[in-house]
Amino acid sequence: MSRYIARRLLLALVTIWLASLGVFLAVQALPGDVTTQILGQNATRANVAALRAELGLDESPWRRYLDWMSGMLHGDFGSSLVNHASVGAEVGLRLRNTLLLAGVTVVLGVSLALVLGVVAGLYRDRWPDLAISSLSLVGMSMPEFVIATVLVLLFSIDIPLFPAVVTAGPDARIGDLLPAIWLPSIALTVVMAAYIIRMLRTSVIDVMASEFVTTARLKGISPARVVLRHALPSALLPTLNVIAMNIAWLVGGVVVVESVFNYPGVGLLTIDAVHNRDLPVIQTIAVLGAATYVLCNLAADLAAMALNPRLRTNRRTA
Amino acid sequence: MSRRGLLTAGAGAAAGAWLLTACGSGGNADKAAATAAATGKAAAGGTLRIARPPASSAETLDPASSLSAYEYLGALYSRLVRRGSDGKPAADLATSWEMSDEAKTWTFTLRDGVTFHNGQAFTSADAAYTLTHILDPATKSPQAGVLSTFVAASGISTPDKNTLVVKLKAAHAEFPTLLMHYNCYVIAKDSAKTTATKGIGTGPFKLASFTPAGPGKVVANTDYYGGKPVLDAIAFSSIAETQSRINALLSQQVDLISQTNLDSAGVKTVQASSTATVVEVKNAQWYTLPMLCTAAPFTDSKVRQAFKLAYDPAQVIKLAVQGHGTIAHDNPVPPDDPYRLDYTVSPDPEKAKALLKKAGHDKLTLPLYTSDYDSVLTPLALAMKDSVAHAGITLNIQNAPSDSYYTKIWMQKPLMTSYWYVGRPIDQLLSEIFHSGSAYNESKWSNPTFDGLIASARKETDDAKRKQLYQDAQKLMVDQDGTIMPFFASRMIGISKKVVNYHESGFEFDYLKIGLSA
Repeated sequence: MSRYIARRLLLALVTIWLASLGVFLAVQALPGDVTTQILGQNATRANVAALRAELGLDESPWRRYLDWMSGMLHGDFGSSLVNHASVGAEVGLRLRNTLLLAGVTVVLGVSLALVLGVVAGLYRDRWPDLAISSLSLVGMSMPEFVIATVLVLLFSIDIPLFPAVVTAGPDARIGDLLPAIWLPSIALTVVMAAYIIRMLRTSVIDVMASEFVTTARLKGISPARVVLRHALPSALLPTLNVIAMNIAWLVGGVVVVESVFNYPGVGLLTIDAVHNRDLPVIQTIAVLGAATYVLCNLAADLAAMALNPRLRTNRRTA
Repeated sequence: MSRRGLLTAGAGAAAGAWLLTACGSGGNADKAAATAAATGKAAAGGTLRIARPPASSAETLDPASSLSAYEYLGALYSRLVRRGSDGKPAADLATSWEMSDEAKTWTFTLRDGVTFHNGQAFTSADAAYTLTHILDPATKSPQAGVLSTFVAASGISTPDKNTLVVKLKAAHAEFPTLLMHYNCYVIAKDSAKTTATKGIGTGPFKLASFTPAGPGKVVANTDYYGGKPVLDAIAFSSIAETQSRINALLSQQVDLISQTNLDSAGVKTVQASSTATVVEVKNAQWYTLPMLCTAAPFTDSKVRQAFKLAYDPAQVIKLAVQGHGTIAHDNPVPPDDPYRLDYTVSPDPEKAKALLKKAGHDKLTLPLYTSDYDSVLTPLALAMKDSVAHAGITLNIQNAPSDSYYTKIWMQKPLMTSYWYVGRPIDQLLSEIFHSGSAYNESKWSNPTFDGLIASARKETDDAKRKQLYQDAQKLMVDQDGTIMPFFASRMIGISKKVVNYHESGFEFDYLKIGLSA
């Protein structure tokens, strides 16, 4: 077990490094550099040269990449090419905001999806299932910016219940961000829940038809206990990875939803950093994103083992 | 100056929305006609909330910088001279000015009793310091290129605390107009290092807080020499997406969206609201298609002339901006500029064809580059494509990414769309964008006669004769230069119905009068 985890963690490090290299190469392929992007129409030759010197961009990009890598190994993510602020602090602040949004969405969205998925599976082909399944199909097929825009129209403009955008900056107090969290969170829930519901519905149907559930029923165990204690752990197994991927997606910064609501999270920072070709920031976000995906995946696999003793035995004998 | 647009996730969606409305707006275009801002009595006090696009986290409150946060400048600072309603220099920190020595020496008399926000008295030393700060190469001021041709730090002197004397390197009878630029706001002596974040000026508002690319606030300066503003404060927030800025206005989280020229879909959305409206700032920006005079086929002046004759500006203006504009007749000098030349050449597709034939092109096919950098650029490209087709010119529209439009397309592709904000006084306009070798000369047109006319005009101290020289230069541009310039367009501003006495020129308001209705 511990050897398995160690091997997965080692692979994770390689994945993360490859992600940072890939992003570095991609940014090199983009036209323009940080000076031309900041100056725009004012990017005259003299202005660009002066700003390059001021920002210390005379070194080769590879050299800067290596410096950034070695810094990162010591826990220093470097400083932004645009304003020289510490990337660690900037990304940390944005990550706090994104985690807040992701946390609310996970609690709200995942628990809602689990309940609806189980209900749909148990009431297969009856009206609760038909209602849940068709609604989740609708949610699945709408792009998130459409959902977000409709929500703003309904609940900020027509009925002014929630703010339409966040007007505070990234260093806003959590108390100031909270009122603005509900609409983005609902939009994300709609997008995310559909996948989980459909996955869970199928596996609940499979499990409820299996022999051990029939046995449990014949033994006279109450229907609620059959579902919660016997069927659900097995039904959850195939859903775990979907949930893990969704959490990783949320933590990595949801670019579209954050930009519709002007939510000062990692997603908005990503847009800004790519626009400005701000390499240290982009690379730090890439490393963060890759690490989140790898860790969420690992967590899902470990949770699957905990829920299913057969997987644990197989690993031991392998 | 340029709008530092953002790479936007929803750009495709916005373009789609534009196409939908553009296709459906044939008959009811005029229904979208915008109103003027409400006037009337404002309630005392209140906070005006403005949403602006975040430029970059490198933005600064140093007015001289190319990275300055425009919206704050007019509130925080004053200039020696500002642009008057007649387009001529009007008194601000300087109360009067006169030239001597055949326009080679300018003496400015400065206002007495003005203090900076920190209580320090304003004197000629601050004015002199501001000029040297702009000229300092380390400041990288866009205005340095224009000013350094005429001013050196050694030529600036301060005989007493209310007098500034500038001895020019070369005569310039319109020199004060160069000081109307927003880069020329006056900062306190020795504040170059701190002004970027402190924003200490002599303007109607004082800085309360400022975050680059983030929120900020200015509060009324009760000691302002022009009187006390109606408002208590102006709060700024940064919102990257145009649609999100509109949403913020419609949900009454902000009262005004700045640096956002609403497209026709945006205008309709805002006008449908019960709480917000659209104000039309007339002739606020000019749209052009620079023809690169150093690239084929535009090296031939006959081809350039043919392009100018080929399109019908009335049709282009209707298609591209639903009629919210003024025909420019290929002349970039704004309609309200006292020096504008009234000279028009009527469209003539047949003559254009003949000229192209003479230049050796039976049929001409060219790519025309555009982007979503500004909401009008792509509609303009489509309208031009349509309009020049009659003259046998086929334009293939190439939509380039907006985030590298000014680095990869501008001044590099033979034909593209571009735009500028009005507000440059005539001498700066002509010398910065049309003079040989200027950094912003986007068509790379180079004409010694034109350069000579500008040089003579500057030396000419007789007003009537000088006007004539600037007008001769304009005629030469219309006939020969590399700029197709169909129209001046209105800027469509989304604003809350609560805002009264809004008047904007450049990015400056009438800061004293603007307020919120009771």
